[in-house]
Amino acid sequence: MKRYLGKRILFSIFSLIVVVATVMLLVFSVINRNVIFQMDDTWNKKSNNDRIFYEYTMYSKYGYLEFTDYANFLKNKYETLYGSEYTKNADYKADKDAIQDENTYLENASVQEFIAENEAKGYKTTYVAPARAKSGKVKTGGNGYLLAVHEKSVFSRVWHYFTHLVTLETTGDVTDPALTERYIRVEKDPYSGFYALVGSGTTHKYLLYVDGRFPFIHQNFLHLNLGTSYTKYRGQEITDVIHRPVGEQIKKRSQYPAQLGTDEYVETAIDFHSLTYNYNKRTATEEKQFPDQYTTYSYNFDGLAMIENSFIIGLIATLIAYLLGLPLGIAMARHKDGLLDKIGNGYIIFIMAVPALAYIFLFATVGTTVFNLPYKFANAQVKILAYVLPTVSLALRDIGGLMKWMRRYMIDQMNSDYVKFARAEGLSEKEIYRKHISPNAMIYLVHGIPASILGCLTGAIITERVYSVPGVGNLLTTALSGHDNGIIVACTLFYTTLSLISVILGDLLLAKKDPRISLTTSKGGGR
Amino acid sequence: MSENVKNVNSDFSFIDINSIQAEKITAPRYSYWASVFRVFFRKKINILLICLFILLIAGSFIIPMLIPYNPYENVTDAKTYNLSPAAAMDYFGGFSFKWLFGTGTQGNSIFAGIWASARTSLLLAVICAAINMSIGIIIGAFWGYSKKADQILLVIYNIIANVPYILLISVLVYIIGSGFWSFVFALTVTGWLGIAYFFRTQVMIIRDREYSLASRCLGTPINRMISKNMLPFLTSVIVTQLATELPMYISMEVFLSYIGIGLSADVPSLGRMIQEAQNAFLTFPWAFWPPVAIAAAITIILYVLGQHLADATDPRTHM
Repeated sequence: MKRYLGKRILFSIFSLIVVVATVMLLVFSVINRNVIFQMDDTWNKKSNNDRIFYEYTMYSKYGYLEFTDYANFLKNKYETLYGSEYTKNADYKADKDAIQDENTYLENASVQEFIAENEAKGYKTTYVAPARAKSGKVKTGGNGYLLAVHEKSVFSRVWHYFTHLVTLETTGDVTDPALTERYIRVEKDPYSGFYALVGSGTTHKYLLYVDGRFPFIHQNFLHLNLGTSYTKYRGQEITDVIHRPVGEQIKKRSQYPAQLGTDEYVETAIDFHSLTYNYNKRTATEEKQFPDQYTTYSYNFDGLAMIENSFIIGLIATLIAYLLGLPLGIAMARHKDGLLDKIGNGYIIFIMAVPALAYIFLFATVGTTVFNLPYKFANAQVKILAYVLPTVSLALRDIGGLMKWMRRYMIDQMNSDYVKFARAEGLSEKEIYRKHISPNAMIYLVHGIPASILGCLTGAIITERVYSVPGVGNLLTTALSGHDNGIIVACTLFYTTLSLISVILGDLLLAKKDPRISLTTSKGGGR
Repeated sequence: MSENVKNVNSDFSFIDINSIQAEKITAPRYSYWASVFRVFFRKKINILLICLFILLIAGSFIIPMLIPYNPYENVTDAKTYNLSPAAAMDYFGGFSFKWLFGTGTQGNSIFAGIWASARTSLLLAVICAAINMSIGIIIGAFWGYSKKADQILLVIYNIIANVPYILLISVLVYIIGSGFWSFVFALTVTGWLGIAYFFRTQVMIIRDREYSLASRCLGTPINRMISKNMLPFLTSVIVTQLATELPMYISMEVFLSYIGIGLSADVPSLGRMIQEAQNAFLTFPWAFWPPVAIAAAITIILYVLGQHLADATDPRTHM
């Protein structure tokens, strides 16, 4: 069994890599890459060569290629020679201006050095000649550039992505030589009253702490780097986008770390558990507020994170669906061809056949006009009511599916020999249905349980769109229409991982529930 | 007494043993397809549904010819935007079927729009189902029969089946563009795989049945095995599969166009009509509900008809 599981997991990891690599190949190599500038204001403002240079900077930032430019090369070269005052050096100025003359730039020694160095590394050097008006004057943004570009291969991209997927914070993370003390230790946490794992030299100050927000225990030492959003959430980490609470800032009475122990209090929305290391020297005000260099923070918000919204709605809907769908399916099978069965079948056909879009809008109309529930998430006066319609819409869909399968499996089981035997033994119908048929019919449904729970993490596309729920359901779809390659790859990884895990868990659950099923031997018609 | 015996003897006469007659089995005449249609039309609702379906097909192919749909015909005239049926007929001068459901967000005719879009949906569903089903069944049959193919195809299947279908399709549409044919391509490039896997299992089950084993022992040639042993069993399975596939493609188109990664703007699409009208679905219901209703009508009719036909093609219901 362990061997089998190991094999399954290995194969899952293999397919995950294949899938992510394929999607990366497709989105990075097949699609025209300048789509990332479609919604970029900075790109619109830049003109001529500045725009070309900006494009390369962005391509490099978004992982299309690696690139260095001549100005950066000069900076490094002269900084080591003359220190921070290098800009005043005459040689530096001469070298810097050399590329502004398209006829003579190749004669410059530094330019030659730059080209030789980068070509040795396998980079391709590109010279962008100054853009001149007819008078010979350089146009706005028309300065010349000398670049060295290295296109990333799909293989190295995939390798980089997977090797940087998970990072662990260590005391060596902060490279500031000014930091003398480096430790990770348990300290009393003044903000929660409990104990917390506090680090120095790590990026975050609080590595493991408790607070009043779900899931109550939080950690900062393990980071999942799914990638960076390119267009939609410009430059933000995707893990951050889905995990960070949204809404309005909530202020509460608190103290800055330096004020602790005194009776000075401030009204602030700062989340002091989010402190990270800041390399810039503290300002005078910051000196009074913080005892150390951990001065960068984020705020407390009253809303939930995107993934929390989706998960709560999905989970409650799934629970309702199982609690209602299974008994209804059993009742339908028990009174086959009765009134309940006929109504139930009508409902099942409705849910199965009608596009989800149509019935969700129908539920929305009924919910808003008959029950007077809030329609759009943001407009809800009472926050909790905003969750009702999305949850009910999802539950009503899932109930249909569960009813269908439960009824089907129940009817299949009803003609089995063991049922006839139980009846011959004189068991009551109720007992037969409850103790004999239902558990056997459930076997088939058990397989889907992990998928329906883990699936809540991916959100619901149409429901969230219809009710404008700030959730993760539309992350992929909006990324696709907004050409956000980072999110597309991250979603691929996330969705595929979840579906792989749910299939394995489902199989394990199935084998546990039904001892006749063995995962290790081949099944199904194999000869 | 002897007279009686004599009489009996004159009533009966000996006949020769006829070996050909002896082989005949006396059973009621049975024709598969006649039984299928007998069972199918026994349900009166099917006749009604077929009539409705013919009306829908006729509507979606004839109406766009009579009232051509051009979403941008009134785009320059802002006064035509979001008109109720009465207002639209008022504005465009008198009763006309074209303005039966008023106008949409760009002054487009909703009535013409839903029929043109219905045609797109039906064509898309039929083309995709035809491609996926034929590739799926052929490869599935081969997959179920050949062990070598099984090994290779299972690995491919296990990788692709793990990817959420919606992710696969939307990424493909994103990459190859959003015209009608690229949409067909996106739906069919991996769509056949699930069907093939399904038929692989079915073929494997029949392949190992006793009667197939007996046929093989008797030296039945493979094409006869396929036509006499496999196909009669598979017909019902194929129809059942088709009954779920056809509405699925329509729902898929509606869904993808709604979220903005489906068909491009120049192809009339139910999903996009719904998406355009959704923001005002409480205030301008005439622009919103007709496309929803027509999408629901097509899928429900296809689904129910398909289910009933699938039931009828199962020989066990022919008793």
